[in-house]
Amino acid sequence: MASYIIRRTLLMVVTLIGLSIVIFAMLRLVPGNIADILFDAAGFIDPAEKAQLEEELGLADPIPVQYWNWIVGLLQGDLGFSYVSELPTIDEIAPRLPITAKLAVLALFFSVIFGLPLGVISAVNQNSKLDYFLRVISLSGLSLPSFWLALLILMAFVSWFGSMPIYTNPPDNLWDELLLYSVPAAAVGFRSSALIMRLTRSSMLEVLRQDYIRTAKAKGASDNSVNYGHALSNAVLPVITIIGIEAAFLIGGLIVTETVFNIPGVARFLVEAIQWRDYPIVQNLVMFIGLVVVVTNFLVDLLYVALDPRIKYE
Amino acid sequence: MQPKTWLAGLALAATLAVPVYAAAQQAGGTLRAYHRGNPPSGSIHEEATYDTTRPYMGVFNNLVMFDQTKDMESLDTVVADLATSWSWDSSKTKITFQLQKGVKWHDGKPFTAKDVQCTWDLLQGKGKAKLRKNPRKIWYWNLKETTADNDHQVTFHLNQPQPSFLALLASGYSPVYPCHVAPATMRTNPIGTGPFKFVELKQNESIKFVKNPDYWKKGKPYLDGQEFTIVKSRSTRVLGFVADKFDMTHPNDITIPLLKDVKEQNPAAVCYTYPTNISYNIIVNREQAPFDNPDVRLAMSYAMDRDAFIKILMNGEGAKGGVMLPPPNGVWGMPPDVLAKTPGYGDKTADIKKGQELMKKAGFGPDNRLSAVVSTRNVATYRDPAVILIDQLKAIYIDAELKTIENSNWHATVAKKDYQIGMNLTGLAVDDPDVALFENYACGSQRNYTGYCNKDLQALFEKQSSMSDVEARKKLVWEIDAKLQADVARPMIAHYNAATCLQPRVQGFVRKRNGSYSDWRMENVWLKQ
Amino acid sequence: MTQPVIDHAAELAKAGAGVETRLSKAWFLMRSYPLGAIGLLLFFILVFCGVFADWLAPMDPVKTNADTSLALPGTIHVLGADVMGRDLLSRIIHGARISLAVGIGSTIFGCLLGVIIGLASGYLLGWFDLITQRIIDIMQALPLLVMALVMAAALGPSLENTIIAISIPLVPHVARVIRSNTLSLREMPFVEAAKAIGMSETRIAVKHVLPNTFAPLIVLATAQLGSAILTEASLSFLGLGIPEPHPSWGRMLSESAAEYVRTAPWLVIFPGIAISLAVFGANLLGDAVRDILDPRQRS
Repeated sequence: MASYIIRRTLLMVVTLIGLSIVIFAMLRLVPGNIADILFDAAGFIDPAEKAQLEEELGLADPIPVQYWNWIVGLLQGDLGFSYVSELPTIDEIAPRLPITAKLAVLALFFSVIFGLPLGVISAVNQNSKLDYFLRVISLSGLSLPSFWLALLILMAFVSWFGSMPIYTNPPDNLWDELLLYSVPAAAVGFRSSALIMRLTRSSMLEVLRQDYIRTAKAKGASDNSVNYGHALSNAVLPVITIIGIEAAFLIGGLIVTETVFNIPGVARFLVEAIQWRDYPIVQNLVMFIGLVVVVTNFLVDLLYVALDPRIKYE
Repeated sequence: MQPKTWLAGLALAATLAVPVYAAAQQAGGTLRAYHRGNPPSGSIHEEATYDTTRPYMGVFNNLVMFDQTKDMESLDTVVADLATSWSWDSSKTKITFQLQKGVKWHDGKPFTAKDVQCTWDLLQGKGKAKLRKNPRKIWYWNLKETTADNDHQVTFHLNQPQPSFLALLASGYSPVYPCHVAPATMRTNPIGTGPFKFVELKQNESIKFVKNPDYWKKGKPYLDGQEFTIVKSRSTRVLGFVADKFDMTHPNDITIPLLKDVKEQNPAAVCYTYPTNISYNIIVNREQAPFDNPDVRLAMSYAMDRDAFIKILMNGEGAKGGVMLPPPNGVWGMPPDVLAKTPGYGDKTADIKKGQELMKKAGFGPDNRLSAVVSTRNVATYRDPAVILIDQLKAIYIDAELKTIENSNWHATVAKKDYQIGMNLTGLAVDDPDVALFENYACGSQRNYTGYCNKDLQALFEKQSSMSDVEARKKLVWEIDAKLQADVARPMIAHYNAATCLQPRVQGFVRKRNGSYSDWRMENVWLKQ
Repeated sequence: MTQPVIDHAAELAKAGAGVETRLSKAWFLMRSYPLGAIGLLLFFILVFCGVFADWLAPMDPVKTNADTSLALPGTIHVLGADVMGRDLLSRIIHGARISLAVGIGSTIFGCLLGVIIGLASGYLLGWFDLITQRIIDIMQALPLLVMALVMAAALGPSLENTIIAISIPLVPHVARVIRSNTLSLREMPFVEAAKAIGMSETRIAVKHVLPNTFAPLIVLATAQLGSAILTEASLSFLGLGIPEPHPSWGRMLSESAAEYVRTAPWLVIFPGIAISLAVFGANLLGDAVRDILDPRQRS
């Protein structure tokens, strides 16, 4: 067990180094840099002034030097300065993290709380009217563009309440915060819950057909104990994998939702930073997201191993 | 009662009404507006967008400015700001300003003539400090030097007379910067003498300003501050305005097709639907065959159905015109009878025929169509007119494809001449030919994207600039404008109209009919409680 | 619970030979899987529109017309016209072609790569698994839209690039599920039995392991078919994706169209319905196909 964890930790480091190279290279492959963007706002490009600016920001250095400078800084906890605001990168990222984290956790919470039980109900009652109904609902969850759903929600709020749940000022108390975040979280979580429900259903069905379930039934175990005792605990396995992956996917859904609801989280900020070619922000933020995802996957794998006796630590 | 006494009584009542009106202005409250995106920086001199001037103009003062209570910007509406008075010398090449005394910068340092001198030295690239970007350097082609005669007097020395020099100084783009603050600091933490102090900018979130309690214009500003929420998605921010989350929209953010809905949802909203002095135009790469052929360029101008553009993009509310915004809102634009004689502005069916003839002359026709690429920014405001253009060019045997380019690469693409036809938008900082002609058509100007350079016309640019007889100057400007259109230098499609909306509680704000960059001092604005 | 399936086998046995068999088989499948039949129908309509768009569309989908800007749905423009006066119905019909290309293109491309990587990785293990798993980890550490955004920015917006941008993030998704399935499968008795009788590793992987990974793959692939169309819509919403003037449903739904959502709701409603139906159909079909293809259900 201990050696497994050490090995996995080393692998995580390798992954993160790989990620740093990938994102660094990808950003430099994208045409245009911050100097182009800054001159865009001035409506022209002056080659001499632009060269001066690139020099100032270290963009004129050879690519390996730029990479080395970034990594050395990162290891020393120095994330550099945002090209756009000229403020320390950490001061730009840190205040936005909790906002997105709250949104993501809430969305994940919604999706599991609805997706998992409904998936089980649907599988247990396979081909019944209830099953068809739940499947149609979950399919529509996967069929609606989430920003469209978000827009419709906003419009409904304006029409019915004359107000709308968009972020203008930081919320004052926990209740306001919950209220503010639950609508966008539901808009994102709807899709995820549909996915989890579908997956729970199909893997439940899969498990229910396995020999040992038939054996258990043949031995006279009650339906409930088979469904919830044997089947669910086994069916949960792929579902957990999906939840782990979905956590990373959520960031994507949040980009659009944070834009529609105007929530100043990191997801939207990342897109802005890509569009502005704000390398220090994008690189460090992507590394942070990478770290979160890698650690989540690690935990998911540990859980996977713990739940499935057939898989050994390798 | 005698009629005369009655009139006098009315006059007296009218004069009395003025202080009564002034007393009605209520101090207090923070103006909440939305902003469409991150301002590129807080340094007005480095930027060319109202994303910067709208929020930051309140931080500063100019020497002179366009009267914030009038709805036109012209030489007639220039009023004092940091200058108390000004005078031209007999040769009309020196203008001297007397400066306000006792003015302090937001950091407490006194304001003097040295600051003015520093600012214009900075703009001319003369001082020790350098701007990172200097988009309006060309404005000062005629400025020899700026001298601080004493602490409260400053003189601008020109090479030749230039009456519109005053209009340049009055633009929202011409604030006075402090000598003692580095240009880099001005980008992130601007210091001015103006009615509002900068508090903070949170990227993609908000920009905040508070009232300057020591503002040298006593009793102003009325607002306690201004707060801008940055909202990227237009549908979201417009819904936000409709739902009364904001007092004010971003400048020109409500397009004409959207306006109807805003008025329906929020009938009390006050919307100024004015020309923005931003124009749709196309840039043609005249170095690349077959666009080096003047006939092909002219044929394109003939093919463009400007009325269709205006109808589609602005529900028919835009204006057809040349470089200068046409009357009645514009001061210098060609009147309809002059415009009608310009190629491409006549009867559309006949024009398309002419265009087809020209194309045939250039070797193209129904069986030998020209394949081309229309490049533009990947932004709806640019893409939509490009799509219409492509459709209209089909009539003169041009099959064009659209190529969208990210904002980050747009100017690089244009500078490298890596395009054939480009859909472009041009905003004019001031409704004045000295801005429009020199920025966009002068030889060697950085913002003359096509590199159009005509020495004879250049001489006329300088000639009109020196003329003090306004009517004679207008005639010359029309002549120049007509020539630029006939040359297809940067053919105009239409002048853009859009609305800026306010909730009715916002008082004392006046939007200009012929510009979008000089309305935003906000010192007269107040909120009805 | 599996009652209809058993019936199915029995009915099939009763059915005659030749063309009649296939027809009755299809008819039978449709009766057994009504939702799947609906999905198939929707998918067929999508394909039909995509293939015959040039004949089906009443008007030129890119022809602008000042006089019909934001025209109401009516006799001339059945579904109304957009702000540039383009016929919405024609644009939706032509949009089917693009959605189809994005959906099928990215699904096939992404699944193919994902299956190869996942199967090889899960079955071969060793250094190959180690390296691919690291690459997959790196790819999964980047959220889909982020990668799509960077890629779209780097490649420039076009149909091909959008397909690539959407398919790449699918690869690790598929590879992981296939790999974990393969991991479980290789512990299964029938694999061990195959090994015992001396079958080669590749043969076992392709003959025994691969077919058994079909069920989750089909679920993923059909979900992807729909979600690719949705991702394209999101990319368009963020200003990337298929460029104008191509009538992509995603773009029609987003940005400028969303601005007119109150004045001209049909601009948002009809493309929205088109997307939702296409995705809905793909998902229904996928569910049914999954039920049918599952080897243990068939036996």
